[in-house]
Amino acid sequence: MSDYDVVVIGSGPGGYVAAIKAAQLGLSTACVEEWLDDDGKVRLGGTCLNVGCIPSKALLDSSQKFVEAKEHLGVHGITVKSAEMDVPAMLARKNKIVDQLTGGISGLFKHNGVTPIQGRGKVLAGAKVEVTDREGKVSILDAGNVIIAAGSVPIAIGPAPIDNDCIVDSTGALEFTEVPTRLGVIGAGVIGLELGSVWARLGAEVVMLEALDELLPMMDSQVAKEAGKIFRKQNLDIRLGARVTGTEVKDGKVSVTFTAGGEEHVEVFDKLIVSVGRRPRTEDLLATDCGVTLDERGFIYVNDYCATEAPHVYAVGDVVRGLMLAHKGSEEGVMVAERIAGKPAQVNYDCIPSVIYTHPEVAAVGKTEQQLKSDGISYKAGVFPFAASGRAMAANDTDGIVKILADKETDRVLGCHIVGPSAADLVQQVVIAMEFGASSEDLALTVFAHPTLSETVHEAALAVNGHAIHIANRKQRK
Amino acid sequence: EATMGPAARQLVEEHKLDAATIKGTGKGGRVTKEDVLTHLREAPKAT
Repeated sequence: MSDYDVVVIGSGPGGYVAAIKAAQLGLSTACVEEWLDDDGKVRLGGTCLNVGCIPSKALLDSSQKFVEAKEHLGVHGITVKSAEMDVPAMLARKNKIVDQLTGGISGLFKHNGVTPIQGRGKVLAGAKVEVTDREGKVSILDAGNVIIAAGSVPIAIGPAPIDNDCIVDSTGALEFTEVPTRLGVIGAGVIGLELGSVWARLGAEVVMLEALDELLPMMDSQVAKEAGKIFRKQNLDIRLGARVTGTEVKDGKVSVTFTAGGEEHVEVFDKLIVSVGRRPRTEDLLATDCGVTLDERGFIYVNDYCATEAPHVYAVGDVVRGLMLAHKGSEEGVMVAERIAGKPAQVNYDCIPSVIYTHPEVAAVGKTEQQLKSDGISYKAGVFPFAASGRAMAANDTDGIVKILADKETDRVLGCHIVGPSAADLVQQVVIAMEFGASSEDLALTVFAHPTLSETVHEAALAVNGHAIHIANRKQRK
Repeated sequence: EATMGPAARQLVEEHKLDAATIKGTGKGGRVTKEDVLTHLREAPKAT
């Protein structure tokens, strides 16, 4: 007889959702989490709630309101005499939201009968979990099934070691108590762009050093180019092809040496954020004989249903292959809990939206134009600019485009890529359409309320077949 | 009765098809535009 039907290791979006789902399905469930509060209590929610999605969005919203007050209200005839940002107050609000949400998960655990266990979990052979608590006391749980949801950690780089003072990772960048005058960001990916935006809006002079020659290579290249133009207009100084070779911290400043265009450059910053990516957290997680294997990139090896090589052991979220996104981890958690309970659940990996919460937002689902080209799929594209949207004009928020890609033969929607206001919510409409196998004509024949930003999705779908109303359609190639 | 999206519905109307005879491959057996096009290609003069 096992101690629990399911033991989940990690309480991030993959782990806590898996635990709640498993409990809802009638399985006795425990969730092991090592994160401790300041007052020594177990802290649920993982990276997303504590140092990821939620706190970064709280700061993005606060800083955007500041920019609006300072720069964008004049057009409405509103004069703000002197907008000032109280950074500690902004951080306190963010911390309160994090506390509310992590406490909320404790409540949900209680409500659903999930047992939280403080400690560091390690998978042993035979689907057993060793838990080492804060005092170093070791106990062993016998689990019917184990779900590993250990998550990810920021990637460290040799030339810029984190000192949690001048040189910080994404966690430290959420805690600056004052606005740095000059801020360097290594890596112009999702995290770098979001954190760079926060501090740039509050007045920091931001320089972003990106090793690749292209901005956001995983996004549709047309949308990525458009986004790059908008970000540069917002004073993000993005340097592509810039490889950092060294850093030196002296008198509270950090000088960064990098090569770009075959030349060596030096920039001096008050703070430097290292956001070059994240890697799966697998240290001290797997006993050598537990049967769980890693792939060549260090992720836990799983099949399409998140089953590892060891019987009754599953892994979900950032610790396995695929996009490192909270909703991807959560859906995998649900799938695994349901499959343990004997239901034939699956995740549609072709329909996972991804979003960058800059302003405007960047959002995408499905294939990019460059992917369709390299896959040899013939397609049609429809593009609609927010500049032609009445709602966007009324909102004084007209930067960006909506782009929809559809199969040339069947008209099935294959992808949607947006940079623009509320891109995350707009792309979700296309995610739903794609889940139902919609054609671009299905979207075109659907009634969209006027005036709304959603109409830009409608018009982009109409534009796929050259039928957009509010722009001059490109001549159809025969 | 077959559940259809608007584009499939329009094609069925246009070609005066019997929706019940079309195999739906969409979520929950839904007939997609793609399914109607396939049906038309495979039985072009089925009137």
